[in-house]
Amino acid sequence: MTDLVYLSVAEGAALLRTKKLSPVEWTKALLDRIAAFDPSYNAFLVVTAERALDEAKAAEAEITAGKWRGPLHGVPYAAKDIFDVTGMATTCHSKIRKDHRATADAFAIHKLTEAGAVFMGKVALHEFATGGPAFDLPWPPARNPWNRDLHPGGSSSGSGAALAAGFVPMALGTDTGGSVRNPATCCGIVGIKPTYGAVSLSGVFPLTHSLDHVGPMTRTVEDNAIAFHAIAGHDPADPTSTRQPAGNCLKYLKAGLKGLRIGVIEHFYTEDAAADPDQVRGITDAIDVLRGLGATVRPIRVSPLPLWTDCNRTIHAAESFAIHERDVRERPEDFAMLTRNRLLPGAFISASKYIKAQQLRAALCRQFAEATRELDAVVTLSSLLLPCKIDDTAAVLKTYDQQARLVFNVTGTPAVSVPTGFSRSGMPLAMQIAGRSFAEPMVYRIAQAYCEAAGTCISTDPKTQPRLLAAPSTAAAE
Amino acid sequence: MSDASISPEQLRQLCEQLGLQRAFKLYPDAVRAAAERGLRPLGDPPGSHVATAAPAAVFNPARFERDP
Repeated sequence: MTDLVYLSVAEGAALLRTKKLSPVEWTKALLDRIAAFDPSYNAFLVVTAERALDEAKAAEAEITAGKWRGPLHGVPYAAKDIFDVTGMATTCHSKIRKDHRATADAFAIHKLTEAGAVFMGKVALHEFATGGPAFDLPWPPARNPWNRDLHPGGSSSGSGAALAAGFVPMALGTDTGGSVRNPATCCGIVGIKPTYGAVSLSGVFPLTHSLDHVGPMTRTVEDNAIAFHAIAGHDPADPTSTRQPAGNCLKYLKAGLKGLRIGVIEHFYTEDAAADPDQVRGITDAIDVLRGLGATVRPIRVSPLPLWTDCNRTIHAAESFAIHERDVRERPEDFAMLTRNRLLPGAFISASKYIKAQQLRAALCRQFAEATRELDAVVTLSSLLLPCKIDDTAAVLKTYDQQARLVFNVTGTPAVSVPTGFSRSGMPLAMQIAGRSFAEPMVYRIAQAYCEAAGTCISTDPKTQPRLLAAPSTAAAE
Repeated sequence: MSDASISPEQLRQLCEQLGLQRAFKLYPDAVRAAAERGLRPLGDPPGSHVATAAPAAVFNPARFERDP
């Protein structure tokens, strides 16, 4: 057993089930790696080492006794610190919440506990899942394992960093305008925003009720499908939770692409906004792979990207201000600058503008449904730009609207970010594969076929992994 | 209010109405930028869209009923 730290969920589960690997051994290897490298990457806000070892021991005892619960039994994971875990603060990476204590587990945490997964701790995010990488908060921002001077994406930044760094094989994120898929893109991992309502929002601190989604983040597509299955399902405590059962994402995962019809929304990155040539090369090459696997790929058109952005941002600003109104009024200085600047516009949005944005959302949803009626899925870019310097605020702000992820928060339909290779500067590239509502099985099937053929996922092969720094010279400055 | 251009006095009064005096005092440039962004009109919807025939999210009381 040479590389426990980059073991996938599926690989680890197979070894755990056959007792060739102990959950305790796996957990210890990851805790050692976190201790050695996380001071350079700040992925974790809190490492729950004692609890993790207790849960790993319990899992080992059950598996040894023949009581294997399923593919997440004994598998370590981390959660963005926006999920409630009983007895712990849900800080949302904010000083405003540092004294909070959760009295119950979030639904997704509860489901993972039931599945026997091992909780390793809470990971960093952009404050309240908005804003950006901030240096004026009690905790430093997470760093990108591929280059710690660059932005790891957000807002689920610690989740993305922890996966790419080999700290955990699975993490939970949330996504309102791309916050699972942005760090997935920047860190070269796999992250899905499922169908709205497929995963309960109970016990997750809200950002924008009508756009918020919980999504799993992993290093492989198969792992992501396993994790999605574990956390999906109806939750009567969440009015937005769907009663429609999640489709079986594993049954046809490896069914291939022959005969599938895939649309590509090219105009987002060729006409509507300027894209980095490396990102365009990545998706162009990926489309060739999809065609080579037997899919038919043709361009489709929907409304220009800025209209989707306008719709998402208006709803986001209005709903998030409603949540944070009192603190923005009474203690604006306690937010990070980037967070404050994201929340303030909501104060100036009229009820009429908000309602028109919701009407626009309905029109865009109908348009997307019509454009994809004859298709099995669509692909488009995730980030149009490459990760920027983490401390370059102007560059971070530029990336906010140079992305095509928020489109699928508006439609509420599933979209997964998968790696498509590397830029000339060595940073991960990515595309999105998106489908109609509850089409997670199809989205995963296409993602799996692509990633398997292209070999773009981080694995136990050292050539696919970032080279971590144990003692960066700049760490002291934080 | 659909015009994004706003005078300093209008902005001050608006902030007072909205309870944002503290933010305006501490971060006047950020509040001005936020006002311009928030007051900017929404982009034009797709051609086929008829606002009066397309309500926003429909309230469904059944979604709030818990399982027995």
